[in-house]
Amino acid sequence: MSNGRPLPKPNADTAPFWEGCQRQELRFQKCLQCGTVRWPPSIICPRCHSMDTQWIVACGRGVIYTYVVYHVAFHKAFQGDLPYVTAVVELGEGPHILSNIVNCAPHELRCDMPVEVVWEKVIRQFTLPKFKPVRGANHDTGSGT
Amino acid sequence: MDLIRLRDKYSIVGIGYTPQGRVPERSALSFYVEASANAIKDAGLRGEDIDGLICYRQFQPVANDVAVTPYLLAQHLGIRPTILSQESYCARGQFLHAISLIEAGFCKYVLISYGDNALSGGRSFAKGATNSEPTEDLAAFGESGRVAQFAMAARRAMHEFETGPKTWKEIAVNQRKWANLNPIAEMYDEPMTYEDYGNSSWVVEPFRVYDCCLVSDGGRACIVTSTERARDLRQPVVTIMGIGEHNPSVDIHQSDFMAGPTGAKAAGKTSLDMAGITIHDIDACEIYDCFTYTVEITLQDYGFFGPGEGKDWFKDGRTAPGGTMPVNTSGGLLSEAYFMGMTPITEGVMQLMGRCGERQLGAATGTKEPEIILCSDNGAVFQSFASLILRRL
Ligand SMILES: [Zn+2]
Repeated sequence: MSNGRPLPKPNADTAPFWEGCQRQELRFQKCLQCGTVRWPPSIICPRCHSMDTQWIVACGRGVIYTYVVYHVAFHKAFQGDLPYVTAVVELGEGPHILSNIVNCAPHELRCDMPVEVVWEKVIRQFTLPKFKPVRGANHDTGSGT
Repeated sequence: MDLIRLRDKYSIVGIGYTPQGRVPERSALSFYVEASANAIKDAGLRGEDIDGLICYRQFQPVANDVAVTPYLLAQHLGIRPTILSQESYCARGQFLHAISLIEAGFCKYVLISYGDNALSGGRSFAKGATNSEPTEDLAAFGESGRVAQFAMAARRAMHEFETGPKTWKEIAVNQRKWANLNPIAEMYDEPMTYEDYGNSSWVVEPFRVYDCCLVSDGGRACIVTSTERARDLRQPVVTIMGIGEHNPSVDIHQSDFMAGPTGAKAAGKTSLDMAGITIHDIDACEIYDCFTYTVEITLQDYGFFGPGEGKDWFKDGRTAPGGTMPVNTSGGLLSEAYFMGMTPITEGVMQLMGRCGERQLGAATGTKEPEIILCSDNGAVFQSFASLILRRL
């Protein structure tokens, strides 16, 4: 049960990403011309406009680019989670995605902290990629592949 | 790009106000209509003079309201303009479009209008869940709207240079002092101390309630025409000395400009170059201030201070009444009322017209008599930016 939480609504562009999540794979498009790994999904590469694209599976590690701590639930389904954290995670492959940081007290977080993906099954049809700090990680190793 | 030929060629000639703050039992449309009619009257024009109509976007209608369109506004004003337009998602091009339409010869008088019944209608930026069910995938992570998205930018800025509540409290308190001089400001009767700021509750950390703009009922409108025509109209002539836009466009979650440079840098330069001046010639600023941090990063990108120097720059009331660089002299979106970019831009015009009463720049507030005011407007989350330099002729 999603407990009344909003669920993703996959469309023609985003369906491969959400299907990947079901298999606990973080899938992104890689441009076969210039190598840029992009997010959000698109029919062309925003850097070189090539349509030559391959879906890759990201390593699932990155760093916190920025984060915030919600003290107000704008959607009632998140009331019980307060205070909770949303963050932009910069993945090793490059893309910046929004997610939650779990397994960490909000006030221990900082920008550039290394994190890794953990999978949270919301309902049968949806698994969400969330992130937790990499314990004992060297501050500089988060962006490796 | 030789824009200097357009310097001072166009003016803002009439400002329309409505009752504002909490004004229950009113549709958003009614505020658009009243503000527009008042702007026409204020300029000394008639409805049929308006041949261009540009609306700011309307947020999703509340209560049983209909969505406001330029058609509907024209119908209610009883006018049939040559050009109708409305921004689709906060791409803040209104003033540049107005000038372009007049310069090209399609229009003579362009009306720009905004209204909302957000406060009575229960639209919320900073309080609990009264908004409609989200449609974006990000909602699955509890991501909800503008407060969090600007707070993300502010957090990144705290990481990249020295900023945070110490800087933002100065901005909030200085602006509140202006609002306390403005009888139509929502916060006219409510002074704010540093302690009040520090005691205000967290919304989305690092933002407290007092870092966030107000939610308002009301509307605001103005009219753009040629300076030549403006000289024959009712109010003192206030020209658009310079104008610039820049649209980084990238969604804030993927952006690389959270901590600047935002669009303010390029748009500001374009407007200053067109005006043929530097920021040292600016007498006051009216800055789009959806959040305290927006004021800081905008002024930083304009070049008033270096990254992280805002902490000292805003101190000792520099931007408050009596200060050397007044900022947001109506109280702004933080302490007057939220009418998108119309709050700062119309205040800049009113100050230069000398119509601001107790909060009037000059002797009344121990500040410099203003000749040139720098205004800004900002759309989405730093995705769109407009810079206007206004001048009293
Ligand atoms: Zn490419």
